[in-house]
Amino acid sequence: MSQVATLRFPELADALGERYTESIFERAFYRRDLAAVPSLLETLLARTLPHAVACARNADDVTTVVRYASAHHLPITPRAAATTVYWNSVPTRGGLVVDLNQLRGLVSINEERLTATVQSATRWGELEATLNRRGYATLSYPSSAPSATIGGWVSMEGFGIGSLKYGRLAQQLKRLEVVLPNGEISHATPESNPPLSWFVQAEGTLGIITQVELAIRPKPNVVSNHLLAFSDLTALQRAMLALATSTPTAYNIHFSDVAHLRLLRQAGFPSATEKPLLAITFDGSAQQVAAGAQTLKNVVASCDGEILNDSLAGLEWVDRFASLRLKRAGPTLLGAEAWLPLSKLADYITDLARLADAQRVPIATYGTVVTPTTATVLSVFLSDETRTINYILDLSLTKKIYDVAFRYGGRPYGIGFWNAPYLHRTCTPQELMERFARKRQLDPLNIMNPDKVYKTAFLLSPMFFNLGMDALSWLRRAWSTSR
Amino acid sequence: MKSFNIGLDHETLVCARCGYCQAVCPVYKTLGWESTGPRGRIAIARQAAQGAPLSIDHEHRVYQCTLCGHCRAVCPTHIDTCDLWLDLRGYLADHGSIARWQLRRIRDNLIAHHNITGDVPENRLLWQQNLETGIPGLNLQAHAQVVYFVGCVAGLYPQTQGIPQALSQILAKAQIDFTTLGSAEECCGFPLLGMGLEDAAADLARRNVARAKESDASVLVAACPSCYHTWRDVYPRLLGAPIGLQVKHTSEFLVDLLTEHQLSPQPFKARVTYHDPCDLGRNSGVYDPPRQVLKAIPGLELVEMVDHRENALCCGGGGNVEVIDPDLVAAIARRRLAQASETGANFLVTPCPQCKRTLANAARTERARLQVLDLNEFACRAL
Repeated sequence: MSQVATLRFPELADALGERYTESIFERAFYRRDLAAVPSLLETLLARTLPHAVACARNADDVTTVVRYASAHHLPITPRAAATTVYWNSVPTRGGLVVDLNQLRGLVSINEERLTATVQSATRWGELEATLNRRGYATLSYPSSAPSATIGGWVSMEGFGIGSLKYGRLAQQLKRLEVVLPNGEISHATPESNPPLSWFVQAEGTLGIITQVELAIRPKPNVVSNHLLAFSDLTALQRAMLALATSTPTAYNIHFSDVAHLRLLRQAGFPSATEKPLLAITFDGSAQQVAAGAQTLKNVVASCDGEILNDSLAGLEWVDRFASLRLKRAGPTLLGAEAWLPLSKLADYITDLARLADAQRVPIATYGTVVTPTTATVLSVFLSDETRTINYILDLSLTKKIYDVAFRYGGRPYGIGFWNAPYLHRTCTPQELMERFARKRQLDPLNIMNPDKVYKTAFLLSPMFFNLGMDALSWLRRAWSTSR
Repeated sequence: MKSFNIGLDHETLVCARCGYCQAVCPVYKTLGWESTGPRGRIAIARQAAQGAPLSIDHEHRVYQCTLCGHCRAVCPTHIDTCDLWLDLRGYLADHGSIARWQLRRIRDNLIAHHNITGDVPENRLLWQQNLETGIPGLNLQAHAQVVYFVGCVAGLYPQTQGIPQALSQILAKAQIDFTTLGSAEECCGFPLLGMGLEDAAADLARRNVARAKESDASVLVAACPSCYHTWRDVYPRLLGAPIGLQVKHTSEFLVDLLTEHQLSPQPFKARVTYHDPCDLGRNSGVYDPPRQVLKAIPGLELVEMVDHRENALCCGGGGNVEVIDPDLVAAIARRRLAQASETGANFLVTPCPQCKRTLANAARTERARLQVLDLNEFACRAL
């Protein structure tokens, strides 16, 4: 591709050769993640166009870029699959993007420790397939496993499919190779200084993860999928609470409300029923799976549920990575992902239904049980990014959904740039102080993924944000009522 | 899986930008820039849909796609990406911007000479000169039950002329009443479709179908998966009517012959791995017949590569990429060849002239210890 005539950072170009570009054509592709952000807002809030992009092939390449950035006080944005909606991997001050996608592949398996060492941009789906061929499996993976990377999920909260049985990803990590903001390579373990835990959920603000050692397991002999329908949300919630704490522990529990099933039908993927659904997966030995199925029957009987046929359950499992097919009803999907107590799920969805009525837009909810008491919940609605004014009004609804989640003990799942206004509602002052201290210690120049996680952009400060979003949602409501 | 293409404007908005496509794209895996994967290409298509001008850099990325269909297979929003890429190329063609001279040359050859190389029509018969025994009725026989459509790659490239030689011998041995279109055969139109030039492709389709029907044949056999896919799936749409011929890939036809005991495979001791051509597998849904042919050979051990059937890696040879970026094709082929070598097979067999060319070239440059053969060439040794 065409390179610019005069290079801004010629030393980097010399060091990285074809793996470095300042071409405007190439840089323009690094301005987005999944979120559709109106250019008006984008221009107002950030400089998303990087000055240069470096495609790293190994930790040494990453070190080269980071040392250069540190010496010249340049902001760095680490980026792999860019599969979030929070701008975690979108530049906000230009600078350098480090594209990590070439860091792919299994490095080794330690059969005694039952661990695997992988390059950080290996996709979860790719790792699972590689391990399966060798008789092993990951303990858990995100619902975007076909594209989400190992390092990316470490950098986020790391709850997903399999977390109910095996805990969050942080508990499975043994060692991280991280390029620190000063260019040093750190091999972080739970005991090291800085410890591994600092880099978990740091969203790439304390260093760039290049390699990960994580726990694995023997590939389960049997996988058994079940699909249950319930008369109402209260029954679904009771069943979910019972199953989440029963023995043997299910590998995965996924739920959908009726609005979600209706939205799927609208998108061209009708469900067999329009009752609240639970999809449950047991895996392990034949004996464990049979015990799980028996537990499930007992729960269904006590919660007025019905077991749907196995082929539907199998399809639900196959479609576990296809939640985005809802977009076909779109074109744009907006929403909020929240961490929510299981015991409040029915109240949360009922409250959302009131919001949906008031705002005259169906809000669909689905999610995954990730601990015996908690779920990650996605509540989404359709919008149209091509109608800019309406779309900006629609964006205000995401805050309203989070407000409902907060009301029931929930909080946003993931911070990045866009959820930073909620920081003071999601973290205690003590937690925030600890985070700031880590950032100051490891990245005193604030070059590593700035404007994410720690504080908001001026126009997104909580006061402006709350006032602005509430005003917009009021306008939206008035506008939709008047039509 | 259902797949949709309701036009550039709609589909580029439906794209969730999830990146599932990036994870499997052979071009993206090789080049690495965000612009080189399907997600990048969708962004380019979005610009096109909005009427924004596209630069030569944009166009280059649009054509750096092998049309392998792997992105379509994994798309959670069910976008028929292959159709979309062709629409995008059609958009470029409509706006007069086939800027690459190499593509223009192929287009001009196809329109003027009706083949991709610009050869005179008689050169389509060159492959017949080395046949050891004469085969009756080989060229545009007035009446035949089967028409064998040779295709440009197998008919005009010396590296792959063993394919029609092998297949015609197999057909003769099975006493099939067949003919070819001889020097009157024209390109199936697949490369023009790959440039978004549907009207020009339809002209070729009309003439090919008319000539094939002159022989009163009921079956048309193609050894090239791209020709097969074009005849079977695209011609009826281009011509707006069924073509009145049953279209079979040679692997399907060979299975029929084996089932009806018209061929008796002889023992052939070999360890063979099989490469699924994208246009036969993912783009046409034919996975089993070639494997059935191989498994019918006594003594043959078939070993699958890590990625096979729906997940098979592309060889790099599709989508006209070879015309504009041969280095990219070579790099993609090397990746596939590495998987073949991992199996420890002596033979890499594929039922596609273009896959054979790209993989054989890779095997030669990598000095791989396996021989790359087309399915017909391999079968001819054992049948």
